[in-house]
Amino acid sequence: MYNVIQLFVKYGAHILFVVLEIICFYLIINYNLVQKEIFLNSSNVYAAKISEQQSKITQFANLRRQNDSLMHENSTLIENLINIEYSSDRIPEADSLYTQYSLIPTTICNSTVHLRNNHFTLCKGSREGIRKDMGVISSHHGIIGIVRNVSDNFSHVMSLLNSQTQISCAIKNKKGHGSLVWKSMDPQRMTLEAIAKHEKIAIGDTVITSGFSTMFPRGIFVGKIEKYEVMPGSNSYNITVKLFNDLSNVRYAYVIKNRFGEEQSKLEKEVTDE
Amino acid sequence: MNNVFQINIIRIVLIFIAQVLIFKQITFSLQGFAYIHFIIYPMAVLLMPVKTSRSILMGLGFLLGIALDLFYDSPGIHAASLVFTAYIRNIIIAFLEPFDGYNIDDVPTLKRMGTGWFVSYVSVALIIHIFVYFSIEAFSFVFFFEIFLNTIFSFIVSLILVMVLQFILRTKY
Repeated sequence: MYNVIQLFVKYGAHILFVVLEIICFYLIINYNLVQKEIFLNSSNVYAAKISEQQSKITQFANLRRQNDSLMHENSTLIENLINIEYSSDRIPEADSLYTQYSLIPTTICNSTVHLRNNHFTLCKGSREGIRKDMGVISSHHGIIGIVRNVSDNFSHVMSLLNSQTQISCAIKNKKGHGSLVWKSMDPQRMTLEAIAKHEKIAIGDTVITSGFSTMFPRGIFVGKIEKYEVMPGSNSYNITVKLFNDLSNVRYAYVIKNRFGEEQSKLEKEVTDE
Repeated sequence: MNNVFQINIIRIVLIFIAQVLIFKQITFSLQGFAYIHFIIYPMAVLLMPVKTSRSILMGLGFLLGIALDLFYDSPGIHAASLVFTAYIRNIIIAFLEPFDGYNIDDVPTLKRMGTGWFVSYVSVALIIHIFVYFSIEAFSFVFFFEIFLNTIFSFIVSLILVMVLQFILRTKY
């Protein structure tokens, strides 16, 4: 208290000056139109500058959240794309929300590209609804692999670039389908086998998934035909496909959930067991 | 002491009345852009006894400024500039201190302090006051040219007016 009084005795005049000027400027700004306008305008300019800087910083901090929301948006868009492909297949359901395929957005925790048998690890697991044998894509233009193993929070994905991969693929607007395998060690190129040689194909044709499995819906873009040849004595083409996506730098993935997948595989299994 | 108090009150009231009723009405414009204002009201603060404390000067400046603003219809502008002038008045006086110092009852008038001292005192204080006044009125240094012209022209006429009044009245206090 004594110090406060000392302060006022010593600097009372200065404090009074500041207080009086504040009162004056309060009056000026509140009761003079021109000054009020200038004050508001200039303070708006500074406030805008400050908030711009602030938003730059917070934007950076929010990038992760924005990414997540963009991924969710993407997943619904790709879902729509897939389901449009199927929309003419069946009589419309009474419930328009009833769609066969839905996507689970996720990030990739770990990946290998340069081994003979490559794998991915996804940062989501069975808690988010990922099950064994689901297909994984990076966008509508590129498949990644097939879920092989699931724990609570992680899932293990067999990459496309694996010697065991066999994915049923077709050529867009052409009949027939073959299987996509990885024979070379080039992470950009795969081989499409068993397309019958009477089919007319050309370099640059688009390879899509055929939809003849429970993992991938029809029409996901895989790659482009780079070159093709017919082995002597063979009845089918040997097609080299250049992939659309670069598997060495994918960071985000979508797991495809097929509502009728279990039903289909159960039925097929019954037939083969007989 | 009581005498000094009364004389100051009377002088302040007279200056206020003169400013509001007479000099407020006189405004020249030179070719449409430079305005000439007669600003003598800072003399109410400037002519207070030398040893008056800063707080009293500022309180007086604030009250007089608000009163002027009521007539000039510009709340706060005169008050702000007059409080500022009151704040720096004692600094100017200390700066212009004669060789042998001030007496306890000195009043900074023309008769007491001499023409040279008075002219430099009033010019410094007035030009600062007028510059601050027009700056606050414009409220933005975008209008620096206008502020500058206003300050120069108003300062010249106001200084002449103050000197003339001092020579005519020649008050002791």
